[in-house]
Amino acid sequence: MTELSVDQFREYALRVESEVGKVIVGQTEVVRHVLVSILAGGHVLLEGVPGLGKTMLIRTLGEALDLKFSRIQFTPDLMPADILGTEILTDQDGRREFRFRPGPLFSNLVLADEINRATPKTQSALLEAMQEASVTVAQQTYHLAEPFFVLATQNPLEMEGTYPLPEAQLDRFFFKVNVDLPNAREMVEIMDRTTGKETPSAGKAIRGADIVQMRALARAVPIASHVKEYIASLILATHPEDANASPLVRKYVRYGVSPRGGQALVLGGKVTALMAGRYNVAFEDIHAVAPAALRHRLLLNFDALAEGIRTDDVINELISEVKVQV
Amino acid sequence: MILGLALSLGLGLLGAYQSRLLQGEFLLLVISISLLVPLISGLTAFLWPIQPLQAARYFDLLFHLKERLSTAFELVQHPEPATAEIIDRQLQDTLSASTKVDLRRDLPLRYNLRAGALALLFVVLLGVVWFRGESWFKAAQQARNVQQAVAEQAAQIEEIIKQVETNEALSEAQKEAITSPLKEAQESLQDNPSLENSVSVLTSTGEKLQALSDPQSQQMSEALKEAGGQLAGQEGSPLESIGQDLAQGKNASAASRLANMDVGELNPAEQAQLADQLEAMADSLQSSNPGLADQLQQAADALRSGDTASAQQALDDAAKSLAQAGQQITSSETASQAAGQLQEGAGEVLAAGGGQQQANQSGQGNQPSQGSNQSGQTNGSGGAGSGKGSSEGSEQTGNEAGSSPIPQDNGPGDGGETSYEQIYAPSLLGGEDGPQVNLPPSGEDQGEVIGQGPTTPGDPGTSLVPYTEVYSQYEEINNQAIENNEVPQQFTEIIRNYFDSLKP
Repeated sequence: MTELSVDQFREYALRVESEVGKVIVGQTEVVRHVLVSILAGGHVLLEGVPGLGKTMLIRTLGEALDLKFSRIQFTPDLMPADILGTEILTDQDGRREFRFRPGPLFSNLVLADEINRATPKTQSALLEAMQEASVTVAQQTYHLAEPFFVLATQNPLEMEGTYPLPEAQLDRFFFKVNVDLPNAREMVEIMDRTTGKETPSAGKAIRGADIVQMRALARAVPIASHVKEYIASLILATHPEDANASPLVRKYVRYGVSPRGGQALVLGGKVTALMAGRYNVAFEDIHAVAPAALRHRLLLNFDALAEGIRTDDVINELISEVKVQV
Repeated sequence: MILGLALSLGLGLLGAYQSRLLQGEFLLLVISISLLVPLISGLTAFLWPIQPLQAARYFDLLFHLKERLSTAFELVQHPEPATAEIIDRQLQDTLSASTKVDLRRDLPLRYNLRAGALALLFVVLLGVVWFRGESWFKAAQQARNVQQAVAEQAAQIEEIIKQVETNEALSEAQKEAITSPLKEAQESLQDNPSLENSVSVLTSTGEKLQALSDPQSQQMSEALKEAGGQLAGQEGSPLESIGQDLAQGKNASAASRLANMDVGELNPAEQAQLADQLEAMADSLQSSNPGLADQLQQAADALRSGDTASAQQALDDAAKSLAQAGQQITSSETASQAAGQLQEGAGEVLAAGGGQQQANQSGQGNQPSQGSNQSGQTNGSGGAGSGKGSSEGSEQTGNEAGSSPIPQDNGPGDGGETSYEQIYAPSLLGGEDGPQVNLPPSGEDQGEVIGQGPTTPGDPGTSLVPYTEVYSQYEEINNQAIENNEVPQQFTEIIRNYFDSLKP
């Protein structure tokens, strides 16, 4: 059992947020969701237009978490071996042999910048690492160090030369976090911080071992049966073929959320509960993480795209439609 | 509370409108339902079986405990998934959060203005019914009185039937004749115990029974008693014991003694005395029972001529006639008595109905009348009672008025109303078995009543006076009777209405 208490958990989490906040202006919900995802052991896909600080956020998190950080800039010519690593021929004491040279994926915190610019082949190279936390090269499997997180970014605007992530890979991301434009006040603050003599930097808030302990504590948080039933109802309600599906879902949803979405809700809810100072998951914790956990798992049909319906609209309606059973 | 008030208002209005509830019962109904409905609702909610886990979930929502309580409850019940440390921490957290519940915030005293206004409206409506529904409550009281009076009359009829059936002095045929209309009346009262039907049934049944009573029987009874009294006064005479029986009205016993008398055992002196007594008895009964008188006279004649066999035969015949007369008298008296009781009962039911009867009396088909024998009295033999003077006069009026149906010569085309609407009026009004009024003798302030006695109805005569002319006389008599308080108070209005309807 972890030695951490909920107060320590909260203190660590707040410390990380505080350190990130020294560099990142605003975006508190984005930071919170990324942190929740990390503490739940999941990977995050950040989506936003260029210049909103996505990469900066992840870099700052890497600094604050005192983890081995690597950044991969995804480009169309990026090959899987470029990220996984490759075997190279070495000459040691006159003896030649192939030796595995780990790629940038062998870090604790991997920034996959503009992931949708890489080819599907390269994107798929991340699949095993994200799901199994291991890499197989030349029939040799290498386990990645704990903790291991992939924080990816993508630009929703540029369609030319991009390769949308396949559903299977999208599903492996714990959260998909939308990074929105900061408001005017935050914009001024950003300009102040980044155009002065000194640029702020984040200090080390917690260690990798602390994160492991926090993840263990988060998984131990109990969740009431009716909350779990609610999550199941919520997930099932996203499927248009479900009997309880709302008219909006029937009309605009092509595929509903997979069970991984339910897992993300539970784990995300547990971390959120701990960060709120509770030892149990409440409905409000589920509601807080639901958009981030479900939006990339809910696939809308052409009608929805044509009519400008967003996944977040459907999710918000589901949250209001699906009733809590007492 | 609102539901209770609404329910009590609805039921109260229904009950009052249908004249089923008395004012006290209305109040009791309103209070009890208004209190019972919230009480039952509260008890039902309190006692409704609810799972503790459900309650915990409900409290979580109600007190914003954020699922702490339900999670703690599940952890206590099924601690397997969590460690003891986590359970302990969670329980402590739940306890801590529970102590911080703000009851004022989470359980505020809710006041619904619309509900309050609705409740006030119901209370006002109930108050209006309470203070303005007097006519409804009065009608309910009358209906209740009528119901009780009808039930009493039904019980009385039952009692009369029992008495008749156990009366050994009556033959089976006589019993059947008397009880048959009584049983029909009983059934009719059970089927339809309304005021109108009850009075109608009791009155008509009384008339049927009255028709069974023979007016001659009364005369015969009196004559037999008188003769018996004379015989009983002759001590040591052969007919002394028979005379005692007759004087006491034991006609069957007297007949039996007469049949058992053996004139052959009497000595000549006794036979002569017996002949005298039989002859005197025959004289007394000549007017009321000529057949019996003849047989007694024959016996007396046979005894005087020494023909004991013929005398014995004549006595046997006389005994049979006496027995038959006795049965006839008993039957007539019983029927008459029952008729009187039913007429009186009809009056009680009518009195219980009070104003309701006045409102409902139009349209009644049963129409016994009063005063119709007045014309018959003028041409008939009049009363045969021994009363004289003003006492007699008042009784004549009282007894004869209403003792028989109105002759149809006062209908349309008889010089009266062109359209004759039948109205209901009980025959007992001022009629037979009605209130007996004793007036002081005329001319003497402190004088005594000279005499009073039974009267016999006059023979129905033929009306020779036009209805339009005789009406004023009837009305005047009626008004005088009312003014002199000779008529019970509750019947005065009915009588006035009756005469108004007869007005040519």
